[in-house]
Amino acid sequence: MQMPQAVRDDLFRGYQTGGFFDEMFSAEGELRPHYARLYEELASMLPAEFEERRRLADSAFLLQGITFTVYSDGQGTERLFPFDLVPRILPWHEWDLIERGLSQRVTALNLFLQDVYGPQRILKDRRIPRSLVYSCRHFRREMIGVEVPRGIYTHVAGIDLIRDSRTGDFLVLEDNVRTPSGISYVLENRLVMTRMFPGAFQMHEVLPVDHYPLELAQILRSLSPRPVDPAVVVLTPGIYNSAYFEHSFLARQMGVELVEGRDLIVDGDVVYMKTIRGLTRVDVIYRRLDDEFLDPLAFRSESLLGVPGLMGAYRAGNVALANAIGNGVADDKAIYAYVPEFIRYYLGEDPILQNVETKICSQPQDLAYVLEHLGELVVKAVGESGGYGMLLGPYATSAMIEDFRKRLLADPRNYIAQPVISLSRVPAYDAVASKMAGRHVDLRPYCLFDGEKVIIVPGGLTRVALKPGSLVVNSSQGGGSKDTWVLQRESGEK
Amino acid sequence: MLSRIAESLFWMARYMERAEDNARLLDVHYHMLLEHSPQSYQLRWEAIIAICGETDRFFKLYHEANPHNVFEFLGFREDNPNSVLTCVNRVRENARTIRDRISREMWEDINSLYHRLRGFRPETEIAAGPHRFCNEIKFASFRFHGVCDDTLPHDEGWQFLKAGRSLERAETTAHIVDAEYHQLLTSASSEADVNNHQWMAVLRSVAAYEIYRREYHGRIEPEKVAELLLLHPRHPRSVRFNISTLHTALQAISGSGPDSYATEAERLAGKMQEGLLYDRIEDVFARGLHSFLTDLEKTCRVIGEQIARSYFYYAVVA
Repeated sequence: MQMPQAVRDDLFRGYQTGGFFDEMFSAEGELRPHYARLYEELASMLPAEFEERRRLADSAFLLQGITFTVYSDGQGTERLFPFDLVPRILPWHEWDLIERGLSQRVTALNLFLQDVYGPQRILKDRRIPRSLVYSCRHFRREMIGVEVPRGIYTHVAGIDLIRDSRTGDFLVLEDNVRTPSGISYVLENRLVMTRMFPGAFQMHEVLPVDHYPLELAQILRSLSPRPVDPAVVVLTPGIYNSAYFEHSFLARQMGVELVEGRDLIVDGDVVYMKTIRGLTRVDVIYRRLDDEFLDPLAFRSESLLGVPGLMGAYRAGNVALANAIGNGVADDKAIYAYVPEFIRYYLGEDPILQNVETKICSQPQDLAYVLEHLGELVVKAVGESGGYGMLLGPYATSAMIEDFRKRLLADPRNYIAQPVISLSRVPAYDAVASKMAGRHVDLRPYCLFDGEKVIIVPGGLTRVALKPGSLVVNSSQGGGSKDTWVLQRESGEK
Repeated sequence: MLSRIAESLFWMARYMERAEDNARLLDVHYHMLLEHSPQSYQLRWEAIIAICGETDRFFKLYHEANPHNVFEFLGFREDNPNSVLTCVNRVRENARTIRDRISREMWEDINSLYHRLRGFRPETEIAAGPHRFCNEIKFASFRFHGVCDDTLPHDEGWQFLKAGRSLERAETTAHIVDAEYHQLLTSASSEADVNNHQWMAVLRSVAAYEIYRREYHGRIEPEKVAELLLLHPRHPRSVRFNISTLHTALQAISGSGPDSYATEAERLAGKMQEGLLYDRIEDVFARGLHSFLTDLEKTCRVIGEQIARSYFYYAVVA
């Protein structure tokens, strides 16, 4: 690979794209134009200077308590979500395509949820097997016929995208329409970056992201069942939840109460919160608690995190929930394979963003194929997230493969399989070698749906697999994150 | 304001105050006792444990009250629910549950204290003497209140912080006076000189030594120390000052006027404030200091319970 002339003994010494799609360098080793100015700034820094900024950034995150909790030692340790200082940059024309593709997809997902809990046209027209929908663990029969406020199910969607190294195209890896998390990192990463690299922001026109909480608050307020100034709250499972920082962050940014289940009470199908002045009515709940835990009377009876009677208040239309209950049927990994079909069926359009080719193990011919090719495929449990319940065939031991074979045969509905996609890479700082090295990334944009249009803050969370060679970007599996920059459309761009 | 948030603010301030009070006691007595004979010194360390109300727990964990054990116990043991470290952990835990309601600066300050304390190694600090550690806590507490005052709206939440701190402080000061008098009465008269030093330490532990010097000039007399610590209208650690602060905070929370009260806690605090205003120290001694203080501490506990009953707890309705 040819490196630009200026580079000698600096952060980029010996940098290799390694045959992957590199977001900064083309296959020929040419700097991509949208990275030119940032590269100049980075290449002028000594590793020690870079290291110093990295240290400052880490201490900023630690001081603000931007941590997540891991429960390996029994008492919950707070860890920093590693942050890499090299941003992931998207030129405007690429983002424009992504934005259109995501709007289309989220609109179709919402239409699917309206349909599947309503008239079920798509089932009657046999465009998706009824058995696949009804066997989904997160399908909630209790929701059939419930009218959700303004017809919105997917108020917040986090759609995971990856760039396929072979084609350079973005693909949808999975949909998250229950309680996707990570937006707080997007906003905090940006804040820290503007402090660490003020110069770089002056040289680029980076589209802002900090309006997210305002947009979300506006959507939440619009759901209120009462015409008064609505009381909106964020419902958290509490400080022991790994995303607690985000819950409190969003409540603070939106200027609403952060409540736990024990702060709420339902009386006569109306939800109240317990204040020092007595009970006050709650109109809208942005809940960051899974369906199963929301209401011990309706779902898991042993849950202490939820609010007894909440489902009744919701059904009676006295309180709005975001996201809606039962969304899990739309982000089930087997249903995922049908989302392109939803787009064609509900919108009459061709999908702008493609899926990763997916084998659905409940279908006998697919299962047979998967069992024969376990060593080459990624196998995922359909209802899991966070990188759990997954087999990475090419990296697995034969014992792990045999274990998955048994699981597949025992419960094929619970699994899907996909080819291993080689994710694109972005330079990330390797502290051991004190220089940049290519690391695989994905991208999770956060999409808000207000009932008419989809609003997406430019960029999203770029997660990066910091371990050399690793393809797993989840924070629970050693992943970190990067700031994501979408550049302002330039005058020459279409 | 959510009841849970009010409760967290109230307890945050109490725990911060408790951490500071422990640190002060340790620091002052440690340095005073460097100048004493080993026998009197052991008795004193036991007295400090008694002031903290921790005699039983302490002797379950240790055989002897020596500086090392007392410092470790009051400073660092996480199985002592009132050690400095445990108190700071609780301050942070409470802050964490209400992060959305406190200022960013407040959170950063508490969080950085927590992380700094985790960097203190008990053995190193014990070997170096408690001063560095205690000073860190003392100034952390000052900063805590400064940051609260300057970054929070002075609304009812802020009043709960005030109430928590003043209630804790009133109780602690009353408890110190009670324990010291008990100690004085049971010690031999030949130890008068030692006692003088003890009273100096007591004054220092509640930041009152300099005020005493200015106001009373002469040598240190126990009655005057008691007067200063119990009845002084302006000393920020006197019982009267703190009960008055508490009463004002409770009035602000309930919104009741100057001639009325809305809660039992407010009534009790108001009544106690009146007593402390019109009682002279001679009256207190005439009635018996110990029983006076026992009543006072008991009323403080009832006030705490009544605040919880009025503002924090909901009986199950359904």
